[in-house]
Amino acid sequence: MSSIPNAAEAIDQEIIYQIYDTIKDIKDPEKPETLEDLNVVFEEGITIEKIDDESYGINIEFVPTVPHCSLATLIGLCIRVKLYQCLPFKHKLRINIKEGTHETAAEINKQINDKERVAAAMENPNLKELVDNCISEPEY
Amino acid sequence: MISLQSIAELEAHSDRVWSVSWNPSGTLLASCGGDKTVRLWGKEGENWVCKYRLEDGHQRTVRSVGWSPCGKYLASASFDATTCIWENKDRDFECIATLEGHENEVKCVTWCSNGSLIATCSRDKSVWIWEVDEDAEFECESVLNAHSQDVKMVLWHPTKEIVASASYDNTIKMFKNDGDDWSCFSTLASHESTVWAISFDKTGERLASCSDDKTLKIWQEYLPGNTEGVATVGSDSAWKCVCTLSGQHPRTIYDVKWCSLTDYIATACVDNAIRLFKESDCNTDKNQPSFDLLHTQYQAHTQDVNGLCWNPKIPGLLASASDDSIVKIWQVVEK
Amino acid sequence: MAFSGALQLTDLDDFITPSQECIKPVKVTKKSGKTAAIKIGDDGEYSQIGIDGGEVKLEKATITLNDCLACSGCITSAESVLITQQSQEELYKILNSNKILLEQGKSDECKYVVISISPQSKASLAVKYKLNANEAIEKISGFFKQLGASAVYDVAQARDLSLVESGHEFIRRYQDKETDKTALPMLASACPGWVCYAEKTHGSYILPYISSTKSPQQIMGSLTKDHLGGGRKPDQVYHVTVMPCYDKKLEASRQDFYDDLYSTRDVDCVLSTLEVDEMFKREGIQLGDVIPAPLDSIYGRQGSAMNHPNNGSGGYLEHVMKHAAKEIYGHTTGDLKYKTMRNNDFKEVTLEIDGKVELKFAIAYGFRNIQNIVQKVKRGKCNYHFVEVMACPSGCLNGGAQLRPEEGVTQKELLAEVEGVYDENDATLECGSDELDQLYATWLGGRNSDKALKMLHTQYHAIEKETNALGIKW
Repeated sequence: MSSIPNAAEAIDQEIIYQIYDTIKDIKDPEKPETLEDLNVVFEEGITIEKIDDESYGINIEFVPTVPHCSLATLIGLCIRVKLYQCLPFKHKLRINIKEGTHETAAEINKQINDKERVAAAMENPNLKELVDNCISEPEY
Repeated sequence: MISLQSIAELEAHSDRVWSVSWNPSGTLLASCGGDKTVRLWGKEGENWVCKYRLEDGHQRTVRSVGWSPCGKYLASASFDATTCIWENKDRDFECIATLEGHENEVKCVTWCSNGSLIATCSRDKSVWIWEVDEDAEFECESVLNAHSQDVKMVLWHPTKEIVASASYDNTIKMFKNDGDDWSCFSTLASHESTVWAISFDKTGERLASCSDDKTLKIWQEYLPGNTEGVATVGSDSAWKCVCTLSGQHPRTIYDVKWCSLTDYIATACVDNAIRLFKESDCNTDKNQPSFDLLHTQYQAHTQDVNGLCWNPKIPGLLASASDDSIVKIWQVVEK
Repeated sequence: MAFSGALQLTDLDDFITPSQECIKPVKVTKKSGKTAAIKIGDDGEYSQIGIDGGEVKLEKATITLNDCLACSGCITSAESVLITQQSQEELYKILNSNKILLEQGKSDECKYVVISISPQSKASLAVKYKLNANEAIEKISGFFKQLGASAVYDVAQARDLSLVESGHEFIRRYQDKETDKTALPMLASACPGWVCYAEKTHGSYILPYISSTKSPQQIMGSLTKDHLGGGRKPDQVYHVTVMPCYDKKLEASRQDFYDDLYSTRDVDCVLSTLEVDEMFKREGIQLGDVIPAPLDSIYGRQGSAMNHPNNGSGGYLEHVMKHAAKEIYGHTTGDLKYKTMRNNDFKEVTLEIDGKVELKFAIAYGFRNIQNIVQKVKRGKCNYHFVEVMACPSGCLNGGAQLRPEEGVTQKELLAEVEGVYDENDATLECGSDELDQLYATWLGGRNSDKALKMLHTQYHAIEKETNALGIKW
């Protein structure tokens, strides 16, 4: 018996880091801070499950800045688009608002996990510009 | 043993494919998607090839396509809020009309069985009925605001002038002409999340529905005065969920199609798989039917399967559309 | 700020339904001083803590009716702002303050309260209280006068002006049709639901076709504030209309009908038929028991209920057709034949002279028929000269704020009854009269004067689509 994590767990942790690194620098749609700065996303909110050799199921929980935040859907949209564009492996993504942190969490969860709504939103030039701006890589 | 044999892989779309639809004679397959085009595939010798590419009709994603019963017209519904009507003219398809009126994304378009009416639905929560006149002019016959959310799909009854709609509000609704206008006469509520698709069986007495709640449901029609004692209102029939299939699909089911030739039910799932169901042979009570999962085609595509369509003439020939931008054709093999 | 649900009243029967929730970003005026923090109190109120530690209560951001009108977000009148900013409560407030001023001997500061009653509301109330049309309007008049109103008018008198003016406008457009591609078809403008929809979704494609003639309500507004106040300034007159639909509240709130100089509107408050019935309940009266009071007339004599021939939505098609036939072709038409086309809410009337169709008019009620007209006009395929457009199926008598059927009565049956009462006294009136000509002369200085243009015509404004991504509902 060993307390040293086995190889599979180490790989999983590696993937969670990779996912977190991808989303932590997304900018809040209204503020200059990143989602990491605002504690909207955090490593513990990410869980994964291996589907097969090539793909993972990813669950991400996030916490909106205030319980009635009107931009929670946009934050969800940004996370989804960024991961779609950046992750090098196939994945099935589910994003949820952490339970009890938003008044209309169920409504928002439904919308940001509806891929048809997401696809249509990204064809709206004004929304696309906003999302692109939020997910562009920070300049150092 | 039932299995699916891959017949062809059609690669031409440059983005996700949302929907596929066979023409009534089963010779042409239309596909559409995120690349804003519609493609028509047909057989040349032994090979399936892209025969037509319909471009410039839409500014955004083409979400669904539907053939007129005569096969001469094809309708395409787009996120650009319009529906285009294409006419097969000799060797080409030409856009002859654009139906405008929806406020935002049109999600689905479908022709009724005699070709005189079209239904469309949209994120604007409405279902529209359009009349087709002799000169192929299209006029709005009704605007139905019964749903409280995004309407994902509309479908005509195989024989009657009844249209069914599936919505993000978790319900299915049925509409009919009331004399001077159309109205909703039945609301089918049982799903716990978005109803993505619905499909009538060949008789039109049963309906299959699939949902974001990962279940497949079978609904049975009960006519007024039915012996089972199911309550009805006036001359309208009632629809009741008689079977819920849960546990087979690990994720959202995007499409369901009930084959009118073979009675197979095919489902398209986010887990990249296509599944085949059929009513159990031992069923005796239509009020409590059971359905068996006969086959799961894992990795039918490399990404989400979005749409399916059974060929209306060749039994067991199935087309599928996927996020992997490929259209596939399959044959059900029974041995 | 979810408009649907909280603000969208369920029994508010709008036929043009909202497709979206409110997406209007709320403007908040910044309080001076640097903010250190925002505190949410136990009462749910927000306070701003300055760096000096001082606490200032923050105002709640509210959306006003003007915000709604200026926004392309939704196309509905079902916003509760309408109900709160224009309601019987507002009227009671004015009446009470009048009472107090009177007691204080300040009668000169009292508002001059004018009530204008639409014939459609009258008919709806008459049916409920089993009265004939004349009895009903004089009893409604008696009710408001008892409450403290100074004058009560029949909106049909203003409609007379609206019809006559529409007739003239049509002739002018007809004459311009070769040079101005947007002259015809002329689309009627009396329905604010339709106008609002056109402005929010079809903008510049459709607006030039919409008749610039003001609706009866707004002509009544011009008359009341400019002519019938007995020399009072516009803000000393409080003008209330009683209307069959909520959309009329939207219309009254339009910037075009706001007087910047006196900070007042031509119509200060629009009460729906339903709200007037609520007032009866509140006062504990049966309309039948009210002592009638004669109507006032815009011509300064005693008035009586009047009506224009053919149909509950004002009779625009009827009048414009008869007027145009006479003016353009010297042809006197008898009774017009309304031919039902696609459905009962879409009818056609043609003027045939020597077997040739010279004029082709249509009635298009309800959203579906509006769609077909709008699309045809957009494509240049609309071959009508004039279309009477109304947002409600069956027109204004079936307006969203009319009284609901009682138990056991269908909407259709009720509507038939209301139509019956409505048509009771319609035989008498042809549009226009010597009195009306005199009014043009004395009030407006003639038919085509600048004042006539200002008092009887208005403008429409295309509303830009929302482009602020933060506000887009997807």
